[in-house]
Amino acid sequence: MGISDVVPIPVVIDEELEKWTVWGRPLTNIWLTTTEKIHEIIDMGPIKNILNWGRKNSLWFLMQPMGCCGVEMLVFGCPHYDCDRFGIIPRATPRQADVLIISGYITRKYLPAIKNLWGQMLEPKWVIAIGECAISGGPFYDSYNIINNTSDFFPIDVYVPGCPPRPEQFIKGFRELQEKIKRREDERGY
Amino acid sequence: MTTANDVLDALQSAFPGAIQEFRVESDNRLWATVDPNKIVEICKFLRDEEDFDHYSGAAGVDKIDEDLFEVTEILASHGAHPVVALLKVKTPRDTPSVKSLTGLFWNADWYEREIWEMFGINFEDHPGLYPLLLVDDLVGSWPWRKDFKGYPDYNTNERVLEKINPDGYAEYKISPTEAEIEAGTVPETRPEYPTFREREIMELETESEMILHMGPQHAIVPGPFMLDLRVDGERVKKAYLDVGYIHKGIEKILENRTYIQGIPITDRMCYLASLSNNEVFCGAAERIMGIEVPERAQYIRVILEELSRIQSHLLGTGEFLSLLGGATFSPFQWMILDREEIISCIESVTGARINHSFVRQGGVRNDLPDGFAEMTRSALKTVVDKTNEYKELLLSDNIYRKRMEGIGILSPEEARRFGLSGPPLRASDTPYDMRREDPILVYPDLDFNVISRKEGDSKARVEVRLDEIIESCHIVEQCLDQIPGGPIREKVSKKIKPAPGEAYYRVEDPRGEMGIFLVSDGSDKPVKVKVRGPVYAYMQALPPLLEGAYVADVVAIAGSMDACTSEVDR
Repeated sequence: MGISDVVPIPVVIDEELEKWTVWGRPLTNIWLTTTEKIHEIIDMGPIKNILNWGRKNSLWFLMQPMGCCGVEMLVFGCPHYDCDRFGIIPRATPRQADVLIISGYITRKYLPAIKNLWGQMLEPKWVIAIGECAISGGPFYDSYNIINNTSDFFPIDVYVPGCPPRPEQFIKGFRELQEKIKRREDERGY
Repeated sequence: MTTANDVLDALQSAFPGAIQEFRVESDNRLWATVDPNKIVEICKFLRDEEDFDHYSGAAGVDKIDEDLFEVTEILASHGAHPVVALLKVKTPRDTPSVKSLTGLFWNADWYEREIWEMFGINFEDHPGLYPLLLVDDLVGSWPWRKDFKGYPDYNTNERVLEKINPDGYAEYKISPTEAEIEAGTVPETRPEYPTFREREIMELETESEMILHMGPQHAIVPGPFMLDLRVDGERVKKAYLDVGYIHKGIEKILENRTYIQGIPITDRMCYLASLSNNEVFCGAAERIMGIEVPERAQYIRVILEELSRIQSHLLGTGEFLSLLGGATFSPFQWMILDREEIISCIESVTGARINHSFVRQGGVRNDLPDGFAEMTRSALKTVVDKTNEYKELLLSDNIYRKRMEGIGILSPEEARRFGLSGPPLRASDTPYDMRREDPILVYPDLDFNVISRKEGDSKARVEVRLDEIIESCHIVEQCLDQIPGGPIREKVSKKIKPAPGEAYYRVEDPRGEMGIFLVSDGSDKPVKVKVRGPVYAYMQALPPLLEGAYVADVVAIAGSMDACTSEVDR
């Protein structure tokens, strides 16, 4: 990778620059870094901790009620349980959300749509499976229309059991996710 | 007042020989098996001469022992009399076909489509037999037939194949199991029909029209459903509704559970009205078994169902207001706080916040705890005060009134034709309430008004709900004063086995008329459970209601119906 890839300069100059070295290392390697290189540097150093600190304290989730747990999700976002104090805020569109809450039964008809929603969310992003249906099919395990094992389609970070779990358990689930992000143990490795 | 016997006499004199079998269960239930060739004429006679203008639904039953399918048409009246006529039509199992009632009743459309996709029963003269709830690759396997095999299956997922198409979207294919192939329930020839997307694109007329998608995930939807609008500029020319995104097959699952095991499943039909759902399922079994519920249990059921109505209306109205005014429109936040108080009252009895599984065949699960009356009275006082405040707030808010007044007007005739019930129907000047029409439990002893409005617009629908909250508080207070002591559950054997028979039982859900049609064959599991839900009718009425509206008003109209997708899809 040379300067001519980034800035429009004659290739001759580029070739000349590549011969220059600083303390025995090519100049271009030090001065001209790529995005990947920046990421490598960030991943190695403690600066990642600062980024993750920011990420874990602003987990915005997608309002996507699908089943009984969807009702508890609404309540979780409201004053009585007040998720805002953890930086958790409900959003109406996947473009603004960080966390996808699978709050119910995934059916054959809905699986492509929810996969699509997951694709529309911007990185970094996480998934929480709330309730028995999202974990294993729950009471509808023997239905002809239910997908039982959600974890094959989504990299689920936290499972919150319950049918439906109480809003307090939602808070606990999000706290677990925050811990995971802090310890850099989340599924997608942010 | 017309009774079932009068209707039967009228039918027999008008159509001699067409009624093959009949049973008069009580003054307001008439069961009859009719000649399949005359079903349309009989229904027309009932509609025009006997005031059966409320088509409540249809149920298919697979009588595999007799090699028959039975389709039961459920007809009722919008307030003229309380008789429900259940007309059964039999059709052979190898070439099932019955006559469609879509020419007589507008709302027969969805019920017949559902029976077609689940049982494969053809409806002659139906305008468009397209699948309603099922995904296209299940159509043709007829999942509600008794010989449907392959499912239940624990590992659906290992068979799911994910394929990314050229547009970058994932497509899924679920291959059949060996059991299915062996049983031959994998369809070899599938019915041919245009897909949902093709059907709506076919109807585009001019260059300036386009299809605007709302859903399956959208801020306005309380659960996933797809609303596609064909718009020309800002006007909605036509709306197309696709439901079934969370179709769980509850009616099939209930056939594989005993009567007690079925109760938790009915909770999840509509999670905001789970107590009414328990009530309607258990009540139907009680009718077959012929049990009378002890009076104290009846009072407990009424108290909890009314509390449940309050919390449902608070959440429904609050959520709708938040959609109208954005997330910061504060009544939502206040209503959730009020709702929490009601929820704690219910929770102190049932132990659960939303899915209670509380009602049992012959009574209730447990008694009211100590201090329940005081706790509930203080919660009700808060709710009544707050609700009056909301009404005042909404009345004085000009923006709210401009967005809601005169929007989505439903005339009384139209509302009845659409088969609506509950608050949307009552907002259209039709005081039709199951608690009055077909009274159950201790409702006849209680003093309450049926709330109705004349306008029929979105604002009236919200007002009816807010007034019903106050009325429900009044009912609960009366019950707390009048509740007698005594047992809470009739002695019923642990293994419930109702005698062979059928029952149709209906209650007033927070959202309208909820009915269950239950068939028992004497075993410990029901043969068929058909749920007639109120939201099914709301959703069916939504596309014609949206026609001609502005795009900006779609939220105000669709949201004011307070639909619960889970119940439509079941």
